[in-house]
Amino acid sequence: MLLALDIQFMWQVLPKILAASWVTFQISVLAVVLGIILGLALGMFRVLGAPPIQTLIQWFVDFVRGVPPLLHIAFIYFALPSFHIQLNEFWTGVVALTIIAAGYEIEIVRSAIESIERGQREAALSIGMNERMALFYILLPQAGQRMIPTLTNELANVIKASSLLSVISVNELTKVGNALIFEHFVFAEVLIQVAVMYLIIVSLLMWLSSWLEQHFSLTQPLQNSPISHFSEMQEIR
Amino acid sequence: MDIEFIVDILPRLLNPLKVTLLVSIISLTLGTLLGVSLGMIWVASTPRSFQRLLLNSYVWFVRGTPIIIQIYIAFFLLPKVGLNLDVFWVGVVALTFNSVGYQIEIVRAAIESINQGQWEAAGSIGMTQRMTFFWIILPQSARRMIPPLTNELSNLIKASSVLSVISLFELTKAGDAIIASSFKFAEVLLLLSVLYFSLIQALSAATKYLETEVFNFDKADFESGKTFGQIY
Repeated sequence: MLLALDIQFMWQVLPKILAASWVTFQISVLAVVLGIILGLALGMFRVLGAPPIQTLIQWFVDFVRGVPPLLHIAFIYFALPSFHIQLNEFWTGVVALTIIAAGYEIEIVRSAIESIERGQREAALSIGMNERMALFYILLPQAGQRMIPTLTNELANVIKASSLLSVISVNELTKVGNALIFEHFVFAEVLIQVAVMYLIIVSLLMWLSSWLEQHFSLTQPLQNSPISHFSEMQEIR
Repeated sequence: MDIEFIVDILPRLLNPLKVTLLVSIISLTLGTLLGVSLGMIWVASTPRSFQRLLLNSYVWFVRGTPIIIQIYIAFFLLPKVGLNLDVFWVGVVALTFNSVGYQIEIVRAAIESINQGQWEAAGSIGMTQRMTFFWIILPQSARRMIPPLTNELSNLIKASSVLSVISLFELTKAGDAIIASSFKFAEVLLLLSVLYFSLIQALSAATKYLETEVFNFDKADFESGKTFGQIY
């Protein structure tokens, strides 16, 4: 029987799975928070900076979104030691995920800032604010509100992407599950537990994201048409 | 940076590149067939029906777990149910399974974006529900599905890199093998990135073209942006 599951075994490995989920969660939260800092800084330069800087940042974004996350992870893993940066697997994973997250978050920041009605910036300029003041005092506070649900959603995506860190032996959920499979030669029990763990974490975040979306309800709807939203929907899987 | 080495290994990556493209395109095609049929079932079913519950939980599962887990499930489960497939076809099954979950959403969104008035108008000239759906709603929504589906292909190409964990010899796995034998990671990873990047950029250029030139029968609809789904 395919689904004759060994419940006792599942109880036995549950503590390990829970510990590993905690690692997954920690890595993802760290990556998203660092990613937000990087994403906000670069996102503002993307909106306000000199044209060459804007182009450079756009290249970075295109590069991150156009290349599989697995390659970024491999690159960071191999490249950090050759710059004499010795990090353990956990922090290597954080650095790799931060760079991936930042690439997506720059776009979130940019589209949030650009979704603020043009009149807001013009009004700010017309009362004598300069571009920077308009950005910091008028546009960013409004854009920040709009970013919150999207960023929560991004955290869910990064949690999913963190599963790829198993290839560089970070002891997160997928890696621990994999180790258990090869240690005990039982796959169904382990995979079900791992999948359920991810489902719980990701669903909670998705739910939080849609709650926040209602809570921080927009005064004006985003002006993007669904079509252009779709075509920019490059996701991390 | 060893340029000569890059030129040297490029021919060795062409076959894996073909595998990557093939696995993604086959999965997209199968995924579209399944996704469109399941999406139509979703739209046709009533809100609390069994089919919709089933489809919703399927979509929820696919979107809630990382693709690597879905690949492992396919890899371990398929032999268990008596399907001893080649690793390439395991990859196709896994990617299709993943893609369908996203495509149901695409189809659903596209069908629902067609204005309700279309249903009413077709009904008022005496068409049945089914006639309306196949002759009025589906042709209009198919046009709106094209850009997200092309986009789905580039997502699938990126996702196919994860198939390296079950030793499918596609681009990432081939690159890994070269790194393991030559220890030149920077060159190999750069080349891999360029290959993936140009593949995906070419596809998004194609998406843009399809979106603005081919499937844009009434430009005013798209140019005004906001009127999407309301113009009719």
